[in-house]
Amino acid sequence: MKKIRKYIDNSNLSLFRSIIQIIFFIILVYGGFKAISISEKIPTFACPYNVRTGGTCYLINIQHQLHSEWAGFITWRGISVLTALLTFIGLFIILNKSWCGFICPLGTIQDWLTKLRRLFGVRFSRYNKTSFKSLKVIKYIVLILLLVIPLGMSNSFFGLPKITEDMSAPYCQLCPARTVLPAATGDFTQFYIDFSSTTTIIMTTLAMIITALFFVGSFLKKRFFCFFCPMSALQFLFAKIGLLRLVKVGNKCTSCGNCSRVCDIGINAIADDLENKFIVKDDCMMCFKCVEACPENNCLKVKFTGLTIFRSTDEGFFKRFSKTKDYNITIDRKLSKND
Amino acid sequence: MTKEVSDKLQELKIPELKSSLTSKLKNEVYKAISEIKTTFQDSPEGMKYFLNRYEDLIDDQNKDYKNKKIIATNCIYVPEELIYASGAIPVRICNGFYALDQAGANYLPAKACPLVRSTIGMIDNNYYPFGAEPLMVVNPSSCDQKKKMGEIQTKSNIPIYLLETPPVKDSDDAREYWLKSIIRFKSILEKTSRQKITKSKLKSAINKIYLAQNEFRRFNNLRKNAGIISGTEAITVINTYFFDDIESWTTHLNLLNNELEKKIQIKKQLNSTDKPRIILTGSPSIFPNIKIPLLIEKHGGIVVNDDFCSSTRFLYDTIAVDEWNMYDMIPAIAERYLKPSTCPNLSPNKDRGRKLIETIKEFNANGVVYQSLAGCHLFEIESLNIISLLRQSGIPVLYIEVDYSPENTGQIITRLEAFLESLT
Repeated sequence: MKKIRKYIDNSNLSLFRSIIQIIFFIILVYGGFKAISISEKIPTFACPYNVRTGGTCYLINIQHQLHSEWAGFITWRGISVLTALLTFIGLFIILNKSWCGFICPLGTIQDWLTKLRRLFGVRFSRYNKTSFKSLKVIKYIVLILLLVIPLGMSNSFFGLPKITEDMSAPYCQLCPARTVLPAATGDFTQFYIDFSSTTTIIMTTLAMIITALFFVGSFLKKRFFCFFCPMSALQFLFAKIGLLRLVKVGNKCTSCGNCSRVCDIGINAIADDLENKFIVKDDCMMCFKCVEACPENNCLKVKFTGLTIFRSTDEGFFKRFSKTKDYNITIDRKLSKND
Repeated sequence: MTKEVSDKLQELKIPELKSSLTSKLKNEVYKAISEIKTTFQDSPEGMKYFLNRYEDLIDDQNKDYKNKKIIATNCIYVPEELIYASGAIPVRICNGFYALDQAGANYLPAKACPLVRSTIGMIDNNYYPFGAEPLMVVNPSSCDQKKKMGEIQTKSNIPIYLLETPPVKDSDDAREYWLKSIIRFKSILEKTSRQKITKSKLKSAINKIYLAQNEFRRFNNLRKNAGIISGTEAITVINTYFFDDIESWTTHLNLLNNELEKKIQIKKQLNSTDKPRIILTGSPSIFPNIKIPLLIEKHGGIVVNDDFCSSTRFLYDTIAVDEWNMYDMIPAIAERYLKPSTCPNLSPNKDRGRKLIETIKEFNANGVVYQSLAGCHLFEIESLNIISLLRQSGIPVLYIEVDYSPENTGQIITRLEAFLESLT
């Protein structure tokens, strides 16, 4: 048992994650070829604009469901909204925010762009603390808009006229997943500007700009788009009841900052917060790179239903980071009683 | 008096002065070594290498570093990775020699810190390990006395470079300032050692230090089995890292660790499990100034760990690099030396008390001895906070003010004995 524990703690989780990402990319982007559909309420980007998709993103679902008059919610429609939400939560809490770090195909594409940048030796950029704080609000604004606009299409708020039907599923119109994921299957039909009305011209032009920004941004900054993702904001509302957890034991922390250094999003709180045991922040995608980079035994732990499945150890740290075989020293430690 | 005559006079004088100094230093080292050998009879085989290194250190014939690129460093803040990557060898010159402390007293006030005085004594007398002739001395602005020491004109003409360190570690501005200071230091190093710091060189330098750190952490962990090695010996072992060749040091520490592991397996421990376990904190004890740990262990205690910048803190903190390119390695190096630092020059310095309490728990310690070098204002001032914090947590603590002089131990012994007795 100890040996298995040690093997896992010393393992290269990032490599494992890359493999999982590839598998899920294939399932979610090309799954339609084999008629796979995981669910229609999955808490990650699996875009139905891509006809080969292996599942459907919950955001498009909720936007369509909310496109209803108030009275509609007390009929059968209300129940379907509720069951969809419960399905979403049920799927979400199993993996918590790891949906972003391990499964999201759009996240995977960003990670591949990062790998490409690294190959060219181009420096990555990072927000400073102030911009980080102000920019992270954007995803909540996007989330509120994507929920309110569909309601505004069927209902009139404060006597204002109803919003035009051209705004149907407004977020999806702008989402880079709509353009990028079909393109991954060779379908480039989503790259267009719709001239049928002023609204469509604005929305489709914005979408093209966002798609361009997506490629440039995530080439220069790791996980550029995730920082503004409304799915991430929606997920965070339920992150505290997740079965998969990232736990920090504050008094074991030496404030060395290794965890925030390797963090793709650039979360500082993982290093600076010594009080909270529950360390998953709204921008976190639970990729667990921080756990890999932590050299303190048991300081950061990944738990599933209370059971520790991966944890930080100094032996694991040196195994993963030290790369010389200059002289004949192995990093292995003897198993002792304390472990 | 013409210049020629004065030069000749100096030439005649210096060797004489130097020889008397060398004999004093030799005396100190031999005394410390023989104290260790007589006090700890059960000492592991692997210790021999480290004690021999001190004998080599004071051997005038040993000129191993004579024609090598050496960069003398003065503090834990100096990034060793960069020095190794520039093709030079870092040698840390803060030391515990009483003779050098006296030699340095010519330049600094009587109430100055003995550690700083002994450093300037070393610079002044050009007395470097293994006949080294450093290209420069890197002197961080970590404490006021060190900072001002760098401005003093001594007999030596080796340039002293001021490495600027911030007084705060938590603010973004301080971190940025420190990073800029490191980048400037990198270019200075490249000019001084006439070698460019490349990606692959820096990577291999970081890896060298990883291996040393890995062995060090193993060693530190083994010390949890109190009595397996005495604290005095542990401090001696780690202090050799100041000047030793890093690969040879790592290899020998590996051997020592293996030996200790075997010892634990066959449960061969000193009869010391009932001895009070002490953690040392405060101003560093650097060999041969091992007065306090030695006295503690002679009078019934056992030093299980310390938080000295010359031993545990020197090698503990690691670097995590996400992308092995210059743009990520340099900031990673900068962070290693600032973020986890618990140097009392930082304000606020809450991490120090917090980490100390964690170490006490981890090493199951019974008490803390707070050592302050007479004249080290930062540690003296911070003692109030740390001691009250420890008292609040119910941990007994003894505050001792010491200097490098081998005399005046009577009073310290009385206080230590009373303290250790109260712990049993």
